[in-house]
Amino acid sequence: MSVRHKILIVDDEPQIQRFLGHALNAAGYDTTLADNGHEALARIAAQEPDLVILDLGLPDMNGKEVLERLRLRSDLPVIVLSAHDQEMEKIMALDLGADDFVAKPFGIGELLARLRVSLRPRRAAKVDMIRQDGLVIDLDGHHVSRDGEQLRLTPKEFDLLAALASNAGRVMTHRKLLEQVWGPAHVEDVPYLRVFIGQIRQKLETDPTRPTLILTEPGIGYRWSQPESAQQ
Amino acid sequence: MAGLSPDQIMEDVETPRLNDDRRWMTAPSLGGFVGASVILLIVAAVVGSSRHVLPESIAILLFLMAVLVSAAAFGFWVGIASAFGALAGFNFMFVEPHFTLHIGEPQDVIKLLVFLLAAAITGLISGRMREQVDAAESRAAALEVLSQVSTELAHATTQSEIAKVAVRHLHALAHGPAIALGPVNGQMGMLASAPEGYLPDASELEAADMAYRRGRPEFASAQGWSGSRLTFYPLQSDNGKGHGPVLGHARIAPDRRDHGWREQAIEIVLRQSGQALQRLSLTEAAESERRRATSEQMRAALLASLSHDLRTPLATILGSVTTLRELGGTLPPEAQTDLLAAIEEETQRLGRYVEKLLQLTRLQSGMDLHLTWVDAADAAQAAANRARRAWPNARIETGFPILPMVRAEPGLLEQAVFNLIENAVKYAPGVIRVSGELSDGMLVLSVADRGRGLPRAIAEWLASDDMTGAPQGSGLGLRISKGIARALDGTLAARHGEHGGAVLEIRLPVPAEHGA
Repeated sequence: MSVRHKILIVDDEPQIQRFLGHALNAAGYDTTLADNGHEALARIAAQEPDLVILDLGLPDMNGKEVLERLRLRSDLPVIVLSAHDQEMEKIMALDLGADDFVAKPFGIGELLARLRVSLRPRRAAKVDMIRQDGLVIDLDGHHVSRDGEQLRLTPKEFDLLAALASNAGRVMTHRKLLEQVWGPAHVEDVPYLRVFIGQIRQKLETDPTRPTLILTEPGIGYRWSQPESAQQ
Repeated sequence: MAGLSPDQIMEDVETPRLNDDRRWMTAPSLGGFVGASVILLIVAAVVGSSRHVLPESIAILLFLMAVLVSAAAFGFWVGIASAFGALAGFNFMFVEPHFTLHIGEPQDVIKLLVFLLAAAITGLISGRMREQVDAAESRAAALEVLSQVSTELAHATTQSEIAKVAVRHLHALAHGPAIALGPVNGQMGMLASAPEGYLPDASELEAADMAYRRGRPEFASAQGWSGSRLTFYPLQSDNGKGHGPVLGHARIAPDRRDHGWREQAIEIVLRQSGQALQRLSLTEAAESERRRATSEQMRAALLASLSHDLRTPLATILGSVTTLRELGGTLPPEAQTDLLAAIEEETQRLGRYVEKLLQLTRLQSGMDLHLTWVDAADAAQAAANRARRAWPNARIETGFPILPMVRAEPGLLEQAVFNLIENAVKYAPGVIRVSGELSDGMLVLSVADRGRGLPRAIAEWLASDDMTGAPQGSGLGLRISKGIARALDGTLAARHGEHGGAVLEIRLPVPAEHGA
């Protein structure tokens, strides 16, 4: 990596800051720390980090508020750290524009993988072709084939597949997918979405009961698996 | 006053406000005759003194007036007697031969008849009117009594209060003793009686027991017959499940004029007492439901605090271990050492936390305390030593005078102090002073810090009896310390220190025989 990315760690627990600091430094990132929401916003303005790791349980303001204020002026990637009892807050944070989440406790490998995905430029030069595990998705031509064999997808199924596959490795919330594919009026139609995901899995996955391409994030949304090549 | 017989008491009972007037046909009172005589004498005196100027026709009208007044005021029989008296008086003064009572002329008979008729009609009419007035007054009085009963019952909050109210009114309404019997500690016992100290005899107890077991009223035996003098009426409690207390009241003499009203009033008092009991058991059910909900809430709050306090050390441990394993090669040696230290610290923190959880579980499950004589200074010293080992950098000072022994469980008392020290270490940098003293007969163990002081909400919560709704940020430690202090019959209180910071005090009672 030619440029060292700068990561802002926002967590009120010194112990978490401590090991994250060591780990991220060793993994080749520069780190800076904040232990409350106000300080985090100030650091973001002053030091312009490349990514923020944001704990949702901050003492002064909740993570949702930090995100809202942050999103007013930048689309800096944000990974939220959440506890299991912060499910609602986590979903809200993702809907508000957080890029991904990691549930505490987590192994460092999981966090680093999310970091790499989120640090990838979000609006990369438009891809027309996604190739993964023998699957070829032609985004322009609306074709999907597996090992040269054409797969039949309805237009909606294709839109949904495209929305997922072009965000490989990133969690897509139900709301985000529904809004993107069906429009803002349908953001609550989660059961509908599930039916479509089921149909796509039937057509794409080798074993639809144990999906490896479209992964479920229970209660939150779906994630297109990270292609092998992108993983270290 | 024990040992009064029902007869004695029946005599004693003062007539309550319900009127119990004589009927108009019942025997007239002596006072009525005296009154009528006085009226007649006055008329006779007036007429006699002016006999020569007063024409006979006016005189007879005056006598008639006396008869009417007497009949109206004193009833039928007095009126009749007054008629005879008036005629006699008139004859005595105006009819030849004067000053005799001789009735000679047929017109005298007519006069007598007129007098009698006037007396009878007036007596009857006024008697009936008085009856109606009495009935109205009686009704008003009954209503007043009943409204008083319902007010008093509405304010009664225990079974025995309800029994007392019911018994007092039954006593007044029935003109006789009234008692309430009910299960007390598994046996039939006296809940209330009026007049106070009234003891039921064997036949009454038997009747009460019968009413209780059968759940049906047991009526008093008629006058002159042996058996219970009181009617017993069982009240239903517990929403019809099982029987409540039994109320006993005296019979109302059936020849009383207001018999009907009183019986109705008694019935209403009984019914309202039953309803009050049911309301009471419903209230109790609601209260226990509320308590259950509160403990449910507490469990939820505990879970929330669990999730944070357990997850942070776990996250650090897992994060540090995976960092060491996956990035070990690229980590500088200091970082590796620091990560290992973090793992050690967080593991210890987890251990302490689990220990606290176990104690909280004990506190909440209504623990069995194994109280022994404890030197509180020893316990506090042990807590301070443990805290020094846990946080080697914290500055913890101790100083104890010789303190009296208290009844406590040494481990619990130590934990209570330890939690306070932990709290101070976490939130207040600077010297922490652990000390003890005897103050106002209470043993006080205090942990003083130099921090910013305790948030007010937490201090207020500590002072309250509320064990569940701990405010945000009070942590598990304070909650446990408060629980322990309360379990040892003491309190946990917070105040501002002389040099700033917070002082948290565990105050424990010093048993008398070991007091200073």
